[in-house]
Amino acid sequence: MSGNRPKNYWRSLDEITTAPAISDVAQAIEEAPGRFSRRSFLRAAGFTTALAAAAGCSKAPVEKALPLLTQLENRVAGRAQFYATTCGACEAGCGALVKCRDGRPIKLEGNPEHPLNAGGLCAAGQAALLGLYDSHRFAGPQRAGASITWADADAAIIKDLSALRTAGGGVRLLTATVTSPTLQNAIEQFLSGFSDARHITCNTLSHSAILDAHEATHGARVLPRYRFDKAAVIVSFDADFLGTWISPVEFAAGYRQNRQVEQNPEQFSYHAQFESRLSLTGSRADHRYRVAPDELGLVLETLTARILGQPAAGQGLAVPEAVLEDLAARLTAARGKSLVLCGSQDVAVQQRCNTLNQLLESYGNTIELEAPSYQHQGDDAAVFALLEEMQQGHVASLIIAGVNPVYDLPEGPAFAAALAKTGLVVYCGERPNETSRCAQYVCPDHHFLEAWGDAEAVSGVVALRQPVIRPLFDTRPLLESLNTWSGAPRPAYESIQAYWQQHIYPRSQDGTPFLSFWDRTLHDGWARVSPRPAPAVAYRDTPPPAIPPAGGEELTLVLYPKIGLLDGRHAYNPWLQELPDPISKITWDNYACLSVATAQRLGLAQGDVIRMEAEGVEKPLELPVCLQPAQHDRVIAVALGYGQESTARFTDLGPQWLQSKPSVGEDGLVGKRAASFLAREQGRLRFERGGVKLTRTGKSLELACTQTHHTITVPEHLAPAGGLRRDILQETTLVAFRKDPHAGSHGGHEYRPLYPLDHPKGGHRWGMAIDLSTCTGCSACVVACQAENNIPVVGKDEVRRRREMHWLRIDRYYSGEGDNVDVAYQPMLCQQCENASCENVCPVLATVHTSEGLNAQVYNRCVGTRYCANNCAYKVRRFNWFRYHHDDPVENLVLNPDVTVRSRGIMEKCTFCVQRIQEAKIESKRRKEPVADGAIQPACQQSCPMQAITFGDLNDPESRVSKLMKSPRHYRVLEEIDVRPSVGYLTLVRHRTEEEEVEHHG
Amino acid sequence: MLRKLISREPLTYALLAGFVLGLVALSLAARSYHLPDNHQDYEPEQPIAFSHRLHAGELALDCRYCHFGAATSRHAGIPAASVCMNCHKFVTATMGALRAEERIAKEEKRAPGKVVSPELAKLYRGLGLNEKLEPDPAQTPTGIAWVKIHNLPDYVYFDHRAHVSAGVACQTCHGSVETMERVRQVESLAMGWCVNCHREANRIGVQGKPVQASVDCATCHY
Repeated sequence: MSGNRPKNYWRSLDEITTAPAISDVAQAIEEAPGRFSRRSFLRAAGFTTALAAAAGCSKAPVEKALPLLTQLENRVAGRAQFYATTCGACEAGCGALVKCRDGRPIKLEGNPEHPLNAGGLCAAGQAALLGLYDSHRFAGPQRAGASITWADADAAIIKDLSALRTAGGGVRLLTATVTSPTLQNAIEQFLSGFSDARHITCNTLSHSAILDAHEATHGARVLPRYRFDKAAVIVSFDADFLGTWISPVEFAAGYRQNRQVEQNPEQFSYHAQFESRLSLTGSRADHRYRVAPDELGLVLETLTARILGQPAAGQGLAVPEAVLEDLAARLTAARGKSLVLCGSQDVAVQQRCNTLNQLLESYGNTIELEAPSYQHQGDDAAVFALLEEMQQGHVASLIIAGVNPVYDLPEGPAFAAALAKTGLVVYCGERPNETSRCAQYVCPDHHFLEAWGDAEAVSGVVALRQPVIRPLFDTRPLLESLNTWSGAPRPAYESIQAYWQQHIYPRSQDGTPFLSFWDRTLHDGWARVSPRPAPAVAYRDTPPPAIPPAGGEELTLVLYPKIGLLDGRHAYNPWLQELPDPISKITWDNYACLSVATAQRLGLAQGDVIRMEAEGVEKPLELPVCLQPAQHDRVIAVALGYGQESTARFTDLGPQWLQSKPSVGEDGLVGKRAASFLAREQGRLRFERGGVKLTRTGKSLELACTQTHHTITVPEHLAPAGGLRRDILQETTLVAFRKDPHAGSHGGHEYRPLYPLDHPKGGHRWGMAIDLSTCTGCSACVVACQAENNIPVVGKDEVRRRREMHWLRIDRYYSGEGDNVDVAYQPMLCQQCENASCENVCPVLATVHTSEGLNAQVYNRCVGTRYCANNCAYKVRRFNWFRYHHDDPVENLVLNPDVTVRSRGIMEKCTFCVQRIQEAKIESKRRKEPVADGAIQPACQQSCPMQAITFGDLNDPESRVSKLMKSPRHYRVLEEIDVRPSVGYLTLVRHRTEEEEVEHHG
Repeated sequence: MLRKLISREPLTYALLAGFVLGLVALSLAARSYHLPDNHQDYEPEQPIAFSHRLHAGELALDCRYCHFGAATSRHAGIPAASVCMNCHKFVTATMGALRAEERIAKEEKRAPGKVVSPELAKLYRGLGLNEKLEPDPAQTPTGIAWVKIHNLPDYVYFDHRAHVSAGVACQTCHGSVETMERVRQVESLAMGWCVNCHREANRIGVQGKPVQASVDCATCHY
């Protein structure tokens, strides 16, 4: 497609079927008769006004100001301070900067200088801040559910442990992957006192097979470090590396290096994805092929054969011969710069992947084994062995830290039963869950923002973690607990510093004294040291186990982690629960994704509840159906991480009014637990399970899906006659782009104004450019915006009523036909129009244009007529239908003091983070310097792992955003209605040839 | 109807007189009552009778010695009790009280004792100090809960830094605090008052220097 032929974009399946146009439905909903007549409304309104006037005359309350007792160095009331730390939302160990105001952290941002994440931070990382202010955390240690003191808990635990030291007996410590070298050392110290002690690492989102495969092929059980920044051809087999796989932000930071169209179109990497469900990564691949999970190995084997020039079976493969032929050619040509990834939990498949990488000389180039990753060390077989040991009663004491095996493991109930047989069970974690209920003692851990800590997520990059707030509850870090139980109580800070002096500092090469090294690392958050001595690796040509033949026509259940919630560790977090899934756009639920063809075959429609049963799984799973284009026909995809006990807290979430419905399901929880369907094969967890029986329940459920809310495409029959209609999205192929950088562009829209433009043009003029080529739809920006701007959570029922409050949404568009669809993402936020349609209709001048090009929203003026939202072409204005709850005093600590908390009846929207603009402007005024380009970063830009968003001054010709505005790829959405938005988009470029594009959509 | 209304009946006179009197009473009342949120002339009692006249006027301490945030932060800040202690570790009472104690001690032929003024005693108590001004483990420091006077609504984001760096004198908004025994809010701090000053500053500058004082809504409201 050279660009002039319009592509057919659609957001939901309803749009391409004959159902009434979405906007008509919207209108019908808006006009539904209410319970109030106009007359009675006016009567009530009049009475309220009179009352409000009377209330306004009352005296304001006396406000007290309590200053500090002792002035702290560098602490000035009202000034933000940033501290470098290491994110603890998952094991990836991204560097974070914590913004603190008046002694409390209010925002997490990516550390731009950190070698792993290079400035980005994912949605889960951003939302981890809310976990700190979670009033449902453990308030202190417990014995059998009753509060006790630390002294009592320690005395009892030490007594039991010392009995085990003398008498012997199995002591086991079950943790998630430990990337902290000091904690690892403390664990070894602790366990060394027992005759039979073991540390078991459990990761539910297991990558065990990768480690096991490397043990077979390279002789060492290691997780390699993947270097996407060095990869020119990336072929991924079911690895969602931009979404949830191992370390997505780190991978995105590498991936973006070779996806910059302007800077280096010659070096644009090629990315092909083979997968069964539509993952985030697959949605951004240049070519994506639907392959059932059991076919992956065969495809991989055939591809290897093609590269070797061998004739291979490959008969009956889902992937056309020519595709593999082409891919083999590309991979061979990019030898040493190619990267093949595999997300399978089948060692046979992983071993084939290793062989292929070896063949392509990826090891040592795009895959590092000498300085490997420590991000996932989970050993499924060891966890399974532990369960068997416990069942046999061989474990005298089990300490569980930070994991929730009763919920996470498929054998959850069995694990709970086995815990009852275990002598001493101690749970160390932040909040109550399924496992902590089975423990005799709960020794609550700090949140990572309250604790000292360290991490070596990849070999050679060490990082520190520092507390930024005094612990909110009576908790204690695991490191200190272990020290105490080892008989050598020591504060975490001292342990870490001593360990670093002894073991980490000697690996640093800069020759400064230890304390300088320590202080600098603490300031920067990380330091580079020589890698840990790695086990010797050498490729051995071991014949991999045979692959079982593909399993016929049976349906396979594929379980996957969801962006944000992951394996369910963040299920307590309302920000993440309300974050729409990047692909399905559904909030507050998990669901069974079925391909459109399969759903048709089974006669199922969106929302129909189906029952899934499988052999060996006790409890059937009942979930509503979600029709998912581009999914394999033999696959049902269900998200893990739902149906957790900690979600019972959401029963009363959202406004409580006459028609409100709870955010939880019938069982009082959000979604359904799917972990029981995880399969186990040779001890290893498998995320797919064949032979799943589907039955219809006859019930139906309305999912809280945002995909058709705020539609900005004008249906054909509503378009003005003779008016020009431009595509909301512009896209082209790399080949066309190289020929003509304007490819895919509709060529802009010249507007001849009736009156001369009289807005002043001096000073700053803020603008933004969003690169659709690099946006992966990961939704980090959505949560960043929510955290920065005090955006409330409204709950499932309100989302169903299209009242979600996110200022920044990511529109996901499908294009193409049938199940061969392309996906494009478009972050949509207030476009700060120069000629804004909202401003003209506000009767009280609550939304006005500023001299710097912002479309300001003045909350204290707004009377809530909602005319502006009606008149907004981009549908980015949000109305406070209720006074959303701010009753939890602990949770309220998360609020940004620089942004008003809006009340009921107020319109709100993106302000380009005007509080950050003001702060930077005033600060530069104070320093008597001009505002530097890049000094102002809105929250969305700051957190973007792909750096797809650029903000700056359009009046400064040297600013990055000004340069992007001049890019041939630059265009504005709905330019033809002449609102002149300040936000521009850059054409999406896919690494394809034009013929492929035609073939794809022909 | 019309004729009836203008007919010179005594009742009409009485009603008219009542109406005029009512207007007069209302306008008089309006002088002593403010619109909601306008606390002009608010002069509350403080937990400690701290005298700005003495500190800022007589002793001529710079405003920013205590309110040091004004130059670098949004908030000028109320000083921590430890800032008071920089001086009041040594100065515990007025000179008059010290002299009196010396005189009495001389008459009674004893060494003069420690004199602590009752107002400063409140500071020491807030810090949890004993008579010797040493930390007293028996006392929990309570801090000092000052009453806020210049209190803007929550939807206004005023920034001291911008004004101080532009050269606006503290007195422009806060009045002659150095003459006040107890601080009073002199100006209305209403939006019209702010905007007038911004417009004026754009016209004539601040202390002779041209300035850019924005009157955009988003300057203060976000």
